[in-house]
Amino acid sequence: MEATTQGEVSMQHAGHPEVGHEVVEVTVDYLPAPKPFRKAYREQTVIETVRTDAMAFFGVRDSKDRDTHEFFLEFEGRRLTNMLETLQQLLGPHRHEAHFSLVEQVIQGAMPK
Amino acid sequence: MTAAYPPIKQWVFAERVFGNTLDGVRPAGHSGRESGVFWLGTRQETSRVSAIVIPRGAGVEERPNCWRVSPEVFGAVTRWANPLNLCLLAVAHTHVRGAPPVLSWTDRNFGVRVPGVLAVVIGSGGDDSDHHNWGWYVFENYDYSPLSQTEIDERISIDPAGQVEAWTADASGVQILRT
Repeated sequence: MEATTQGEVSMQHAGHPEVGHEVVEVTVDYLPAPKPFRKAYREQTVIETVRTDAMAFFGVRDSKDRDTHEFFLEFEGRRLTNMLETLQQLLGPHRHEAHFSLVEQVIQGAMPK
Repeated sequence: MTAAYPPIKQWVFAERVFGNTLDGVRPAGHSGRESGVFWLGTRQETSRVSAIVIPRGAGVEERPNCWRVSPEVFGAVTRWANPLNLCLLAVAHTHVRGAPPVLSWTDRNFGVRVPGVLAVVIGSGGDDSDHHNWGWYVFENYDYSPLSQTEIDERISIDPAGQVEAWTADASGVQILRT
């Protein structure tokens, strides 16, 4: 298997994981985008890596101007807040697919409209 | 432009999209509050709006100078839209009577900011039914730019026979609109 420092694996090897290095096929949807982000990750990959990769794919980023714009991942309708949780911890040992939604949160600053 | 967003030259609206939209936003408009809808469909060079989602209830704020939809509602719409191959093409919202149908700073910065997405401002709380009078903006080059009347005529097309379905959404999910 070809693994990188970012935790992803080559898709062509994704169906033949090494023992102890299971692969999770990740899909992330973003409402304005017609196609999802798809990538295979090692199960030890943390959620923040998936979030960062998906944001890059969709061309969005966290930012702060008058307001604070942050993107988060939802999984099964639940907002993920622990960015250091691994895919394995999130999914358990027997699931090898994960489907997330990328959603923006805007926290309004102090100025009126 | 990232490859995630194919460029759009024209948007095609089933004629009922505008009528259903106005039906959805007028109740709030008539009580002096802003409201809005999402227009979804297939994204391609000619993009067709085939679904209206009206956010209502939990996770939706309709106030005199503010219409805001929570991330949880966006999440619910995202989970619903993907299996249907729908994506968000536009967000339309009202300004109350007396306020011009132009994007405010808040509208620009709270809105969806990805290339090709439309932001539409409907005046008079939804009582102005002529879409030529609405404010039409497209997000490009990192900001919303207004469409001129010529661009509206060229890039906004009405299909009298087009099909559209209307839905409501809140933080718990998306439901077909029952009229």
